[in-house]
Amino acid sequence: MNANVYLPQLARIAHIKDEVGGARAIKTFRVEFLDGGGFEHECGQCAMISVFGKGESMISIASAPSIKDYKQFSIMRVGRVTAAIHDMQVGDVIGVRGPYGNRFPVADWKGRNLTFIGGGCGLAPIWPVIQTAVANRGDFGNITVFYGGRTSRDILYRAELEKLRGMADVHLSVDSPEEGWEGYCGFVPANIMDKPQSPENAIAITCGPPIMIKYVIGNLSAMGFADEQIYTTIENKMKCGVGKCGRCNVGKDYVCVKGPVYSWAELKGLPQEY
Amino acid sequence: MEAILQKDRLGQWVAQLSTRARVFAPAFVDDVWGYGPVETGAEVPLDHGNTTRPPKNFVFPQREVLYRFRVQDRHAPQITPTVPEPEPAVVFGVRPCDGRAMVRNDKVFTCGVVDPYYQARRDKVVFVGLACSAPPSPNCFCQSVGGSPHSEDGLDVLMTELEGRYHVKTLTARGLELLDAARSLFDDAGAADAGEVERAHAAARAYPQRTLASQEQVVDGLKRNFDSPKWAELARACIGCGACTYLCPSCHCFDINDEITGTSPLAGERVRTWDNCQFPDFTMHSSGHNPRDDTGSRLRQRVAHKLLYFVENHGIQQCTGCGRCITHCPVGIDIVRVTHEVAEV
Amino acid sequence: MVAIEDIRARARTLLESGEVRAVLGYQRGSAGTLAEPAFLTEPQQAASLVWDPTCIHNLALYLVNEKKRQRTQRSNDKRPLAVVAKGCDSRALVVLLQENHIDRSEVVILGVSCEGGGVIDPRKLTRALAGRAATTVAMDGADAIRVGTASGETTLPASELLADRCLECARAYPELYDTLYGDKAEGRSYSPRFAALNTVAEKPLDERRAYWNAHFERCIRCYACRAVCPMCYCDECVVDSTEFVVTPNTSADEKANRIRWIQRSPDASESAMYHLVRAMHLAGRCIDCAECERVCPVNIPVRLLNNVLEREALEAFEYVPGTDPGLPSLISSFRDGDPNDFVR
Repeated sequence: MNANVYLPQLARIAHIKDEVGGARAIKTFRVEFLDGGGFEHECGQCAMISVFGKGESMISIASAPSIKDYKQFSIMRVGRVTAAIHDMQVGDVIGVRGPYGNRFPVADWKGRNLTFIGGGCGLAPIWPVIQTAVANRGDFGNITVFYGGRTSRDILYRAELEKLRGMADVHLSVDSPEEGWEGYCGFVPANIMDKPQSPENAIAITCGPPIMIKYVIGNLSAMGFADEQIYTTIENKMKCGVGKCGRCNVGKDYVCVKGPVYSWAELKGLPQEY
Repeated sequence: MEAILQKDRLGQWVAQLSTRARVFAPAFVDDVWGYGPVETGAEVPLDHGNTTRPPKNFVFPQREVLYRFRVQDRHAPQITPTVPEPEPAVVFGVRPCDGRAMVRNDKVFTCGVVDPYYQARRDKVVFVGLACSAPPSPNCFCQSVGGSPHSEDGLDVLMTELEGRYHVKTLTARGLELLDAARSLFDDAGAADAGEVERAHAAARAYPQRTLASQEQVVDGLKRNFDSPKWAELARACIGCGACTYLCPSCHCFDINDEITGTSPLAGERVRTWDNCQFPDFTMHSSGHNPRDDTGSRLRQRVAHKLLYFVENHGIQQCTGCGRCITHCPVGIDIVRVTHEVAEV
Repeated sequence: MVAIEDIRARARTLLESGEVRAVLGYQRGSAGTLAEPAFLTEPQQAASLVWDPTCIHNLALYLVNEKKRQRTQRSNDKRPLAVVAKGCDSRALVVLLQENHIDRSEVVILGVSCEGGGVIDPRKLTRALAGRAATTVAMDGADAIRVGTASGETTLPASELLADRCLECARAYPELYDTLYGDKAEGRSYSPRFAALNTVAEKPLDERRAYWNAHFERCIRCYACRAVCPMCYCDECVVDSTEFVVTPNTSADEKANRIRWIQRSPDASESAMYHLVRAMHLAGRCIDCAECERVCPVNIPVRLLNNVLEREALEAFEYVPGTDPGLPSLISSFRDGDPNDFVR
């Protein structure tokens, strides 16, 4: 890693995939580092993406750690930097520095049943875990993926999710009934209540809008999941990534260093400032 | 190394140091105490209370360019780091609370991941402290937060004013170099001087100060009453400005933005500027969600960061009791009173 | 004479009857000599109200802030707030009424006359006491101020301690009130209007430029001047990089296309831009409470910038802000006889 923590490495956009359209479009960017640069990362870690002249945004790394040739970021168009990167094309160069934050303790979960619960853009941060789990299918028990979008057009990684079937139980949902939709209709927390998961030897990993996470955790607890069995990943505004700028400070933690991955047991001990 | 400097020789010492470093001292300009460069031959009266602006600017200026960038068409951008190479600086008249704040700043910027910009500046500045003979502000409370009017933490030299002379004690190798640069100006400190210094320090400690409950009581009380409704009550008058934190010697939060300097080709600077947990937008997400969206939670952040989180992370309080945030709050928000009322201690 | 007991009694009655949701006044603080803003919600708290020349804050600000607060907290309490208002504060209320930012039914005005005196300038007090702390400050007649310190009491001429704006104020009584405390003292002032401004405005251009540059160079952009100003109520301020009304419906493009008019970097040029923009936006609105200048931790004479525009409004349009809530505001009105043709 660079000695100067604020200096980004340069990376070229190698591929852009339109995932979701509309006002809050999501695109997945595959980037390759220039000049033999790059870094290794682990599931759950983030990187600071630079669009020069616009600024930086902290984005979770959506590709699996096992992929060394490129990194992938699924980015929703919400602000100055993300709008700028959405306007970029294959071949354009961005800055990337990282990796930042802690990781999902995937190695500790060997032999356990994994239930993933994602909503909206919140599938991206847990996607590396899903990829790692299915790539090492024999290491884990049941793998179940719940995921919901507002409508069928808002489903991230639609094709990849379909491909998961056979390796994992995949339960997709949309918020309200739609013609031609064969999956569940309703919110994600309701979908998991509809297909209750046994807490026995299980780990639940969830990420999505704050309100979804709140109800998902409540429902998991009702199913008997202990706080230590529930993992989520939180976000806060970040500027430095190295625990100095103070933006992401929640209680004694800097989310960019101690987070973004927390078990519910850990998160409960922090003030609700995320 | 302890020595005696007659007051009328301070100017010569400063002149001697000016040949090898930029010398700064408290200056009263436009009715505000700040640090200003000492012109060669100028008096250094050292008769200030404490400066309004703390010396943190020497190591953590309000604006720091992290690097310059230049983007030609779709070629790879050129990035030129701008880690500063400052001239050596000697800062006179630093009060012990501000010296102690420097220890806190070092923890933030140099423990674990080293901030190269901070480090570059820190390496080139020497702090010559001045013990307080009386509390410079009615809101001083250094002795309640582990400090004292003659604390040596974070300083390279500590000067204590005696009758007609200063007692000068070097605390680091860099401090010793300052003395060595003008050895002939100093007299040896004798046993009588030592006694006088001890008396001066004791007299300074005996001045009444404001008091804050002990670190343990505060930590415990803040934890116990973390969700107290008093935060909101006590922050009701808060106007959401940045006076408290920008004047704090140990507040370190910052923002990073791009500033464009040219458009064809696109050129600009990535710039770090101070930022402030009391500004309403400090924590606002792009989505519009704001985790601390009221003055109560923001006041809690400031107080708890100083007196609870920093203790949990570093074992010491971040606040050094200079009292600036109390004195300069436009609406009288008082960290001592707030802490006591919330923590119920 | 203003009898504080009368104000306390009124506050108690208002809180007992529940006709107001809070009384905004002044109480003794712990941070120093100055009184601090008080938010009273219980009748028994009325006893803590004080009135003296350290009651500097323009409490009209809190009508604005409480409005924002109620909005974010989705409060439905429609009862008015009672507010203690000096002459200048009441003029701020008038401007807020003129601009329809508040409605008259939202405020009960406890008008207090300065009775020819005013409030102190804390910096003048510090200088007069050579750094000693004052424990009490009280008017002694209209022309003297009694100051208590740990080493006894001294009486100083009011002209040496009063804020510049009070020295220049010829209307040191509320324009608008529900109840009035103290007597209206008409037509007196220690200094001519704009006296402080003139000392700077009379300098040659080069000196003035150097004067302001030095001040702007020192600005730390804590925005205390903006935060304390009752007229700076915009949800979205031109100086902020991100603080503007972001809702879940704000589009990325709106955010992305937002122009950063002023960088956060606190150099003289960016800070000048900030201060001048703020002054321009206060033209015909600033009622010269001078809170912006008082709260500046690095002593920038912010008030004088606003005074320039105030004088322009007076000289060009005979407009004095904050006199009559029924009048249209300067910026929203025009005259048929305007010599410029763009209005036609």
